[in-house]
Amino acid sequence: MTDTKTPPPLPPLPGQPVDGPGSPRDVPPLPGTSTLDPAQMPEAIRAELEAPDPVAIDTGAAELRSGLNRCPKCGSSDIRPRLGTDLLVCQFCRHEWHGERVEELFGFGDGIADLRGTVMASGAQDIDADAATLMSFKCSGCGAEVTVNTESTMTARCHWCRHVFGVNEQVPNGAVPDAVLPFHIRKDDAVARIRQFVDKRKLLALKAFKDQFTPENVVGVYLPYMIVDGNASASVAGTGEIKTREYTRGTGNNKKTYYDADVYRVERHVDFTVDDLPLESSSERGNLDVNVNTNNIINTILPFDTKNAVRWNASYLNGFTSEKRNTNVEALRPRLEDQLLSIARAQVEGSTRRYTRGVRWEAEALDVHGTRWVSMYLPVWLYAYHQPGRNGGLLHYIAVNGRTGETMGSVPVQQWKLLLTALSVGTVVEAIAIAILVGMS
Amino acid sequence: MSDESGLWLLLAGPASATAVYWGLYRYYRNTDKSHGFERETAVEAQPVTGDDAKIGTNNGTTQSRIRGENGGAYRQRVQRVQRSSDTPPDVESGEA
Repeated sequence: MTDTKTPPPLPPLPGQPVDGPGSPRDVPPLPGTSTLDPAQMPEAIRAELEAPDPVAIDTGAAELRSGLNRCPKCGSSDIRPRLGTDLLVCQFCRHEWHGERVEELFGFGDGIADLRGTVMASGAQDIDADAATLMSFKCSGCGAEVTVNTESTMTARCHWCRHVFGVNEQVPNGAVPDAVLPFHIRKDDAVARIRQFVDKRKLLALKAFKDQFTPENVVGVYLPYMIVDGNASASVAGTGEIKTREYTRGTGNNKKTYYDADVYRVERHVDFTVDDLPLESSSERGNLDVNVNTNNIINTILPFDTKNAVRWNASYLNGFTSEKRNTNVEALRPRLEDQLLSIARAQVEGSTRRYTRGVRWEAEALDVHGTRWVSMYLPVWLYAYHQPGRNGGLLHYIAVNGRTGETMGSVPVQQWKLLLTALSVGTVVEAIAIAILVGMS
Repeated sequence: MSDESGLWLLLAGPASATAVYWGLYRYYRNTDKSHGFERETAVEAQPVTGDDAKIGTNNGTTQSRIRGENGGAYRQRVQRVQRSSDTPPDVESGEA
């Protein structure tokens, strides 16, 4: 992976394509929470656990949510369009650059509640199986033929006259999206974040991984996503229990706690809209089975501040690689419905607090009134390490969100070290337990 | 303390070893992480509506929580019912 023009390798395809969200099926833990208590860990591990995490910019931050675009040169927000062109001009330093936010341009942020049916932006149209991924152009500078492989790149330089051009025309091969979110995090920043992330996980890491660790080989990739707005209603029904009494019966060793509860039939209904839900639109990246790949790492660094995405212009991809979309809207619909149901279940949770013994949902229904699909390229810094093993081994990713800097990764572990650590802690605890037993007898 | 509860204490060693193994494994490999779309997506919801009807009692149980509790497991799918949105799905009410 020394050639920065080569996209990181894709993980091997599963024997059976995974439909829907795959695993991990569990709701992820809250950021900063862990099942491990650092206070009970050996000194060296505690130091790793307590080291600071790479800082991520909160995309919920007001300046990004509002979509305020700043001048990349001076940071001023006093920006005016230059009439008649796609250029923007900073009124403070006169710096000029491209960028039309699709959010306002196409009204992608408006009217989610009124959406009906399926609205697709032109870049999200179905992929034509016959459309070629290799596209050739006649160079506008000198007339030579130049070929662009849209599987991994969207710009090319003419070998004769050095003229650079990109694929801007929307062809039905899925390679050209509606919008692109340019990189904000620089490469040296991404390298520093990856280094900081791995420094917190070195003690038990695979030796070969540590020896070959060169975060400078990180590659900037534009990954294809569908950004979905939706408007849906969901209903759930189940059983809830409220504790009415708690008491103990029996004596001595046969003492047992019993509970009395009132059983209720619980029904909930919620109407809601979602704004900018990102779904992987590459079938390989959308397979989140943690047993065969580490794509869940890239999934974790979502979301992006997609409100700031700009109209597609291949120039933004100059110097970066890209992966092509290969999934159509209909194929992504089961995953969307699954996520909408999960969101609905999260929304109704607050209304079931009175059920002190919890709720068991038994049936759920979803009615999607309207959806809007926009195809987008989102920026990710990707570092990959291939761990050899059975079935072609496992590709470990460390990913940095190209906008917020959120960092997540999979660091391969040295099994014997991990086992030894676990056994040592277990032995100490066992010794304490035996000491207590001996002391009591 | 009885012999029985004393033997139970001996499980503390293997249990903590397992917990440390899985805790550290997840800390390195992050297999439990994914996009928390339930809380990280901009969702605008109308007020939740619904019905609650008492259907019976579950007295004298030794379980401290309802059997099969899934109120917090948003991603665990249950039976999908195709119904229009204005009526909640039917469930057979069963004793917990």
